[in-house]
Amino acid sequence: MTKDAVDICIIGSGAGGAPMALELGRAGFKVVVLEKGAHYKPKDFVHDEILNSRRNFFMPLPWEEPHLWRQGSSGRYERTNSAWTANCVGGGTVHMSGYFYRLKPVDFRLRSTLGEVKGANLADWPISYEEFAPFYDKAEAELGVSGEARPHPFAEPRSGPYPLPPLDVHPIAKEIDRVCGEMKWNSLTTARGIISKPYRGRSACSYCALCGSYGCEMGAKSGTNASVIPAALATGNVELRPKCMARSIEVDKEGRARSVVYLDADGVEQEQPAKVIVVSCTAVESARLLLNSTSSRFPKGLANGSGLVGRNLMFSSFGESRATFRISKQKASRPWLTAPDPFVNRSIQDFYLMPDERFGFRKGGTLGFMWTHPNPIFAAVGLAGSGKEGVFGKELKDRMRAYRDSRILQFEVYGEFLATPGTYVTVEPGVKDKYGIPVAAITMDRHPKDFAATRFLVERGEEVLARLDPDDIERVGVAGETTILQHGTCRFGKDPATSVLDKDCRAHEVPNLYVVDGSFMPSAGSVPSTLTIAANSFRVASQLVRKLKKG
Amino acid sequence: MARKRSSAGRLTRRSFIQRLTFFGGGVVLLGSTACKRPAEEPAQAAAAPPPVENSPHATFTGLELATMAAACERILPRDEDPGARDANVPAYIDRILQTPELKQMKADFLQGLAALERRSRSMFKKGFVEATPEQQDELLTIFKDSGEGTGEGHFYEILVVLTLEGFLGDPSYGGNKDRVGWRLVGFDTVGTVAMAPPEGYDGPKCLRECGDHR
Ligand SMILES: Cc1cc2nc3c(=O)[nH]c(=O)nc-3n(C[C@H](O)[C@H](O)[C@H](O)COP(=O)(O)OP(=O)(O)OC[C@H]3O[C@@H](n4cnc5c(N)ncnc54)[C@H](O)[C@@H]3O)c2cc1C
Ligand code: SF4
Repeated sequence: MTKDAVDICIIGSGAGGAPMALELGRAGFKVVVLEKGAHYKPKDFVHDEILNSRRNFFMPLPWEEPHLWRQGSSGRYERTNSAWTANCVGGGTVHMSGYFYRLKPVDFRLRSTLGEVKGANLADWPISYEEFAPFYDKAEAELGVSGEARPHPFAEPRSGPYPLPPLDVHPIAKEIDRVCGEMKWNSLTTARGIISKPYRGRSACSYCALCGSYGCEMGAKSGTNASVIPAALATGNVELRPKCMARSIEVDKEGRARSVVYLDADGVEQEQPAKVIVVSCTAVESARLLLNSTSSRFPKGLANGSGLVGRNLMFSSFGESRATFRISKQKASRPWLTAPDPFVNRSIQDFYLMPDERFGFRKGGTLGFMWTHPNPIFAAVGLAGSGKEGVFGKELKDRMRAYRDSRILQFEVYGEFLATPGTYVTVEPGVKDKYGIPVAAITMDRHPKDFAATRFLVERGEEVLARLDPDDIERVGVAGETTILQHGTCRFGKDPATSVLDKDCRAHEVPNLYVVDGSFMPSAGSVPSTLTIAANSFRVASQLVRKLKKG
Repeated sequence: MARKRSSAGRLTRRSFIQRLTFFGGGVVLLGSTACKRPAEEPAQAAAAPPPVENSPHATFTGLELATMAAACERILPRDEDPGARDANVPAYIDRILQTPELKQMKADFLQGLAALERRSRSMFKKGFVEATPEQQDELLTIFKDSGEGTGEGHFYEILVVLTLEGFLGDPSYGGNKDRVGWRLVGFDTVGTVAMAPPEGYDGPKCLRECGDHR
């Protein structure tokens, strides 16, 4: 059935989609938001590991809605559930950990900073950090970010303090500050998309410990579900339609986007016409939607005359190590070790950009310190191992008892992930999801410099861990990728020959089509990117409101 | 029951899990087994099948249940601390495999259990339940070590994952009786208060009603 036309139809209600809905609703435009997942309320968020972390409460099951994954273009595809974020109102911002960093000025001009890097497809952003920064301020205020700016060599300029003071941290944070000081490194407070004090009618964090990969029953986590979406609905101009899966975007004879065809909660096909269509399904899923939206005008997919949709996919380079403190051995000298505070909130960014190539790379990244996640099933599955190294019986139980006697500190690396010609998203017509729609297929070919950088960062992180005198240090990996951080598949830029979107994130080839998730980013930065996605969406919204008001 | 899987360029299970664990929490670890799902099984109506004939259990016959329970008890045997049976892990597995989304896992599990029983009869001339604990461990080790691409390895993996879910999951699913699992790993003390769901919480109901995105 064809619905009445609206001004704006937004697909996806997460970090990218929600700010658009809020700003356009505030400006008085009629907005419809299509969201494939359910609309959970805070009461739906309970601390049940099986429900939240091990089934499809948040993420689709890989046999119902797979992603395909292969190593190199000659590799064979494997079905996986990686590269999904939560499918519900608020998207990945609902079960994120809320590590909210800003990019640095250098991330906006990576190509001019690094020059030509062989095997990488670098580009500067068409705007500068300075032009972008006011929208970071805006996003931090609208979502609610707690933090404290400390000076350091790569500190990005800020116009003022964070909207909220930093969250309380575990005493180990002081130790990290101390050992970093000894090494002349800067221990930074990790800003969080979690409110440390009551804020705009929301209650403050209760430090419940099960945070990342769970929804927040307090509404203290600054997912768009708790902040931007309620505000958007309060404008009275925004209609949110959960459980509506967009299948394609249709075009008219002039090649303008005309409507979104979607399957509603009952699986019935509907068509929503709109003057402007905004896509924000995550960088992987937005590329999929555009590539699946073929027409005689756009036989290779919508806005894809250039063939660039899905290209330049970037995740975030990952490494991790863990330090184990045995409570029974350390309790006497560190009585605070078992303090219940869940947050560590310390980061190191001294190696964000190296002065030269001495270590085989220049663009490095960020180290974030945290306690390992307390999910017990997840932890025990890790202790059991697999294959020949796997254990069961008494050995497994001994490990579980040792785990009870441990506090485990870890760091994660958020390393640069250079775009390469070999890392991209396509759709695989032969493999369909439960809706009958061809799925996204990811091909990976990582740049060797990123591995060098990530290994370097892991080694630096281990120096910190070692100085904390733990009983054990274990390296988890130096060559992974964080697939829930997604970017680049519809780059923005000045030149339609090398980018899909213009400076305002409008498709070069389709004048009323916008993409506002991480797809626009020509470089991913070396921090988690959700705050940047939200800020950009506020930026795009302000341009669009201005344009629409002019008529 | 060996499954053919590509080997060239395949990710190891470790790297697969690694990609899932970022930001802490092991999002949908089920994936590692789920991944092995064969292509395009037609989506079935979500009705749970009726209980197996002549069996008071939901998923298993009496013998299957006994075999499964014996295997779980070898994964987490009772020693100075409670084991899988003490935590009611077998009841958890019997119930959870009724989840419509786990249909394939249930089929794989039943097949694996039958293979375990056959192997026990051929090796020890007796059923798995009657085998000695040492013999049971010997068999489980063979399954564990038989490799990722094999049905045996796949079964072992599901067995361990479901045993740990039953031992450490919310008690409303039927396992983790008296929270013995949580006590073993210190989940009752690590964090705090508010870690577990409130009194009277019904996980299976949520799984049925809101953990379903259709
Ligand atoms: C466990 C976890 C922890 C994380 N922690 C952090 C963190 O600490 N810091 C950080 O910066 N980032 C974190 N992230 C990443 C963060 O979730 C993403 O960066 C962010 O959500 C991306 O925003 P987005 O708008 O692109 O997508 P999302 O916020 O995921 O929104 C996309 C929405 O589109 C919907 N959708 C997709 N396809 C369709 C369709 N065809 N029709 C209708 N709707 C559709 C989806 O259901 C979803 O709701 C985390 C992610 C996960 C999974
Ligand atoms: S109360 Fe705090 S720690 Fe708990 S989920 Fe919410 S934001 Fe996270």
